[in-house]
Amino acid sequence: MSTAGAVVEAQGLVRRYLADGSPIRAVDGVDLVVEAGETVSVMGPSGCGKSTLLHLLGGLERPDAGELRLGGRRVDGLSETAWAIFRRRSVGFVFQAFHLVDELTAVENVELPALLVGAPRRDARRRAMDLLERLAVAGRAGQLPHRLSGGERQRVAVARALVNQPLVVLADEPTGNLDSRATGDILKLFAELRRAGQALLIVTHDARVASTADRLLRMRDGAIVAQTRLGADASAAGILAGLADLGGEG
Amino acid sequence: MSLLAKEPAHGYELRQRLAKALGPAGGALNPGQVYVTLSRLERAGLVQAVEVAQPSHPDKKVYELTASGRERVGRWLADVTWPKVAPVEFHLKLVVAAATGLADPVALVDSQRLELLRQLHQLQALAAAEPADSDGALLLEGASLRLQADVRWLEGCERRWVERGSR
Amino acid sequence: MRSLRLAVRLGLGNLRRRPAQGLLLLLALTIATGVLGVAASLYGSADAPWDRVWRATKGFHVSLGVYHPPDEPGDRAFVRELRRRAARLATAPGVVGAGGPWAHLYGSIAVAGGEEDLTAELRDPGPYQVDQPLVTSGRWLGQGGGVVLESGLAATLQAGPGDTVTIQGRPFPVRGVASTVSRGRFPLSRPAQVWVTPETARRLRDLGMTEEGFALQLRLADPDDAAGFVAAHRSLEASDPSSSVISYLQTWRQRRAESHADIDILAGTLFAAGGLIAILTVATAAVLIAGRMATQVRQVGTLKAVGVTPRLIVLVLLVEHLAIAAVATVLGLGIGRLLAPRVAETSVTVLGRPEPPPLTWGRVAIVATVAGTVVLLGTIRPALRGIRQSTLRSLAGGPRPPRRPGRLGRLAAGLGLPLPAVLGLRSGWRRPGRLLVNAAGLLLGVAMIVVALALRDSLRLLSLRPSEPGHAASDAAVAVLYDQIRAVIFATAALLLVLATINAIIVATFAARDAARNHAVLRAVGATPRQTVTALVVSQLGACAIAVVVGIPLGLGLWRLMEGGDLPEAGVSTPALVLLAAAVPVAFAAIVSVPARLLARQPVAPRLTYE
Repeated sequence: MSTAGAVVEAQGLVRRYLADGSPIRAVDGVDLVVEAGETVSVMGPSGCGKSTLLHLLGGLERPDAGELRLGGRRVDGLSETAWAIFRRRSVGFVFQAFHLVDELTAVENVELPALLVGAPRRDARRRAMDLLERLAVAGRAGQLPHRLSGGERQRVAVARALVNQPLVVLADEPTGNLDSRATGDILKLFAELRRAGQALLIVTHDARVASTADRLLRMRDGAIVAQTRLGADASAAGILAGLADLGGEG
Repeated sequence: MSLLAKEPAHGYELRQRLAKALGPAGGALNPGQVYVTLSRLERAGLVQAVEVAQPSHPDKKVYELTASGRERVGRWLADVTWPKVAPVEFHLKLVVAAATGLADPVALVDSQRLELLRQLHQLQALAAAEPADSDGALLLEGASLRLQADVRWLEGCERRWVERGSR
Repeated sequence: MRSLRLAVRLGLGNLRRRPAQGLLLLLALTIATGVLGVAASLYGSADAPWDRVWRATKGFHVSLGVYHPPDEPGDRAFVRELRRRAARLATAPGVVGAGGPWAHLYGSIAVAGGEEDLTAELRDPGPYQVDQPLVTSGRWLGQGGGVVLESGLAATLQAGPGDTVTIQGRPFPVRGVASTVSRGRFPLSRPAQVWVTPETARRLRDLGMTEEGFALQLRLADPDDAAGFVAAHRSLEASDPSSSVISYLQTWRQRRAESHADIDILAGTLFAAGGLIAILTVATAAVLIAGRMATQVRQVGTLKAVGVTPRLIVLVLLVEHLAIAAVATVLGLGIGRLLAPRVAETSVTVLGRPEPPPLTWGRVAIVATVAGTVVLLGTIRPALRGIRQSTLRSLAGGPRPPRRPGRLGRLAAGLGLPLPAVLGLRSGWRRPGRLLVNAAGLLLGVAMIVVALALRDSLRLLSLRPSEPGHAASDAAVAVLYDQIRAVIFATAALLLVLATINAIIVATFAARDAARNHAVLRAVGATPRQTVTALVVSQLGACAIAVVVGIPLGLGLWRLMEGGDLPEAGVSTPALVLLAAAVPVAFAAIVSVPARLLARQPVAPRLTYE
């Protein structure tokens, strides 16, 4: 049964590993829904399984049990090849380590998914350049990744994730390798994506990043232990009052 | 007072300068508080008021720093005291809760963390509206980073108190 | 010296920790040193038995041979003159013993269904001061008639004392079999020879054999001065161009050198084969060592960061790999020593059990130098790169950053090739060094196939050639020799192909590992496993293209060097070449796709989780 408007629906996802002979459940029966246009963040300590969950949602790993639907289509049983073909169009990944193909220039990296779905070369190039402009890295389009700063690389990675207008963008610790300024840039970027109606799932242990979401899920030991809606209720006044309390003579 | 160090100003200008320095936080300033503070400073001899004649308006009160006032500002600038660094009160809450059994420390941590995350969420929204290079944006980033640090500490607390609970 | 000891300890420690690659290198090197070792132990392995027979038969130091066709009346005077001078030579200063002159009668003997040229040497009863043939079965000439067969002839006829042979169409009893060093062994050395008494000779003359020469054998007081003696009596060799008389002087050393053509040719071929294999092994070694370096680059960086000099780093590398080369040399020489006698035994010219010659320092040095050179050539580039590379980058590990996409990359994209092919081509050009090394390996294999094809053609033509009358058996023997050579060349070609295949697999595996992260990214972005495998295979095809384009002409050139002499001219037909040019990339792609596919099956996610 699929909820109308839900971009990602997972039910009872399980992923097991064998570590030193004894089985570990990295993901232990997770139910998850991401609506269209929603930003969801998954927070948890290291080793809680959030990265594995992300991999499962994007088809980089196969669940041992459970159902997964993306855009209404059942995907948990797809083969590697079928997943690859589906993923091109429907899923955009953003990784902590950026993971750009190091022998392709920035714009070639971005147009890669478009070429894979069969877009004509000129079209793909144009879409890629447009995105790079929107993300303010168009000037670095012809550079190889190792010449770009961390923040630039991540922006290129985000552009790549967006080039085919995917159902959902899956981000795994997107600011993990970035300094504070670059983090701020990416967060602004995500806010823009939210405004543009792009569904976004962010896995992170950084509170700043997690708190940008509409909905926050907390994971521990492979299971979701809490779910909250952030934002809207409390007003900004309280914080600002705290900030503005200058005390005595300053 | 420090804002007067640059040049003398009257009350309204002062409020404007303050607002600019604080960004969005400046909007929450209580207008009256500025004047109250100014009078206190005048009584303390750090500031003096001068009547300035204006052609088509009633006389304005312009405030400027006295010599001792200037000295005070200098000392304030050089002072390295940093405001409260650790959330002592919350720490006590946890200890008390555990000792008395009146509340579950882990649940306390949970709800406090949620509140902090909500505040962070608001801050992000405010920061998104600020131009990147403004002083206000910098202040908001400072606040965000502090909250982020606090959340991390809370996670440490959670780990510790979960451990204690399972023993 | 302390640094040397440290280098040795580090080097041996490295070898112990990662034995697989070291063993692979050792195996590749040992193939080369083994072939060279066989060649080294083969060449001259017939010398000892020859020397033994030479000593046992009171062999000559200088011999004079005269040949005169019977019909030229003008020559008879010259021949008589030669005979007189020969008789005088027997008493020349420096001569301590003489045998002959012994007359030679020329005729034919029936061998294996055909007629073979025969020389019958007339001997008085003896004993002889020089050249007392060594009887190996039966008896020497004496009362009762009969002929004594030269041992090679006896072996070819498979005849012994008591059997009969057919000379000039008539049966003659075999009295005995004997060995001599005064001529080469039949059938590689023609004509066949028997010894006869004067009575038998009379009968042979009646049957039509004609006197066409004589031989004189001398022993000198100073055997080492045989060449000087020959030089002093050069006048005996003077030939009148108008006459058809041939007279020549020869020293015992010259004779020995000429007596074992088949072993010499075989040893030479093996030596060349070993050389080619060694060249290919440089390519293999370079790939293996570069791979080793990649995993050891951190060690290089750590050493440098701790303040160790580049000199020591080179020392460690050299110690490790020269140790492997040393072991390969010893193994190769040992293999040679074991196998060479077995190979030499198949020779038709050896006079008894072949003995590998003592391993002189010279021969050891040759094999050791080849092994050492292979290792050094394979080590140089990675070593220099490791030293020059900045310490930080060494510590960070990983390959050098890629260069800007060149014209080729843009060209490939412009051609509209499918995306995996474009990515593969870009990836392939990224490491031109490795590409060339891989190409060099394949190239030799391709060249050897061309040579083998041409040789096969040529030998087929040779076997079709009707043999000259009177040369049936010896031609057959030569054909056997050529078969041996062909076997060696085919084996070498096959070996080179096997090595090139191993090379290709190793290079492809390293390339796949290098590309693992990039391919994981491609998969995450939506490339199918087949697309990444295609990209990898295409990235290796550049080497294949170079190998075909350069290897085929190289093979043709090598063949041109080899042909001539007795080998009929042959080329390789163009359709065959085209087939080869098409088959090599296909086979290569198939081989390379195996490691590519295996590595593509590994899970993608772990490669994306860690940096």
